[in-house]
Amino acid sequence: MSILFENVYKRFGDKIVLDDVSFKVKPGEILFILGKSGMGKSVTLKHIIGVLAPDAGKITVDSMVVSSMQGVMRDQLDQVRQKCGMVFQHPALIDSLTIFENIAFGLRTQQYQEKMKSEVTEEMISDIVHDKLALVHLNPEILQLFPFEVSYGVQKRVSMARTLAPEPAYLLFDEPTTGLDPLSISSINELIFELSRKLKVTSIIVSHDMACALSIADQILFLDQGKILLMATPGEVMKSTIPLVQDFFKETKELLPPNWSLS
Amino acid sequence: MISFPNWFINLFHELGGAWMFYLRVLRTYRRTSGHRRAIVQQIAEVSTRTIGTVVFAGIFVGAILVLQFDVMLRRFDAESLLGGLNTSATIREVGPLIISFLLAGKIGAYTTAELANMRVTEQIDAIECLGTNSIQYLIIPRFFAIVFSSVVLLAIGLSVSVLGALFIADTFCGMNLYQYIASIPRFAGGWTVFEGLVRSVLFSTIVATVSTFKGYTASGGAQGVGKAVTASAIYINVYIVIANFISSSILEWIHDGFYWVVNLLEKVLL
Repeated sequence: MSILFENVYKRFGDKIVLDDVSFKVKPGEILFILGKSGMGKSVTLKHIIGVLAPDAGKITVDSMVVSSMQGVMRDQLDQVRQKCGMVFQHPALIDSLTIFENIAFGLRTQQYQEKMKSEVTEEMISDIVHDKLALVHLNPEILQLFPFEVSYGVQKRVSMARTLAPEPAYLLFDEPTTGLDPLSISSINELIFELSRKLKVTSIIVSHDMACALSIADQILFLDQGKILLMATPGEVMKSTIPLVQDFFKETKELLPPNWSLS
Repeated sequence: MISFPNWFINLFHELGGAWMFYLRVLRTYRRTSGHRRAIVQQIAEVSTRTIGTVVFAGIFVGAILVLQFDVMLRRFDAESLLGGLNTSATIREVGPLIISFLLAGKIGAYTTAELANMRVTEQIDAIECLGTNSIQYLIIPRFFAIVFSSVVLLAIGLSVSVLGALFIADTFCGMNLYQYIASIPRFAGGWTVFEGLVRSVLFSTIVATVSTFKGYTASGGAQGVGKAVTASAIYINVYIVIANFISSSILEWIHDGFYWVVNLLEKVLL
């Protein structure tokens, strides 16, 4: 049970977005991908679920080669997607569906029915939707509302509940705290930590939030100009002499409480 | 500013993209099932949203044509041909063309904007990530609903055009209605209706393909949505005009060929 990148290349026009990227995420691990904007962090996540295909290299999820599936092996790609839950940078809730229907969306698919090995009844769906909503600390009163009727922060939480509903083996977060106020950021970070540790789900989190990465990550990966600059534990990252890593750390030091230390 | 050669190359580049997308939609339709309910729902939405515009436009298409033909035919004392010429031109050429332009503006722009917004806000990516084929879930219902509704709406629009022309001919041109109706079969028969139907299906397919293609492949935030809608409107109208020219030529050849074969058979058999 792991995610493996081997010598992955990707370019958009003249711009090289991923340049010989190789790394492995072990089961139950929390990996943070950090780096400046436009350095290929979100692109890396989209490769794991086959939304994007690499120009060269190999991406493996639980011994299934995702990089060769796009467009030709739809069924296998759906199996990979069933294992991976992705929380997008924006909530990406479907406008025309209520919050209940949004959370239930992944439970009505053929793959989920096959995974459950039995028919998924409306009662089961309703129970799962209520469970996941409670997990992200939301009230069932919002279930019949449409996404545009609730705040951005609530939409983000609903998006997490939707991702968690089919119980994926991997959680992929694409800048989950973007556009949120400081209180919501802290509560979303706590939620990610809680989910990853409680549910023992392997998580990959794309973020700019070094403080959060130092607090909860098992591994931190720095991407710069499409290349891996560093992949190390939080302790090693703090000792790193690489200028970009130091810049990130300097910015973070001011945000950390005075008595903060690596747990 | 895009130069004309680049614009021309782009036109074919986009046509190639739209064609590949059209094949992808058909392939997905063949491989998947359970579309009926979603298609019917979309047909209801598209039809109710558009029927008013089509009826309103249909009346004026017929009215404008009959007034123009009347002015010209009077010069040659040939008013008796007004009904036939007007009905034939409305059903074969002008009706499908103008009503398709309207559908492009109304349904095409709406569909492109809706899908483009879903694309740039990552809703389509989310649908894919949740294990649902986005072509099956989003495109197939919209595509077939646009094709089916457009054909039906065109038929309604053309009928209204013919009736509108009849009313204008009677009220403003002082035509004898019996004379007007009697001249229709001389110019507009089964072949005319067939031509109108072929064009309706062809133009509707263009509206459906280009609008869904441009929406589905949009990128670049709110600006990207705007660009996709503009491009969709331009390309649909340009492709419809080109398709009209090509279909006119091909249908003319088929028509001539058909009567050549009929004449030949008559000579051989009788």
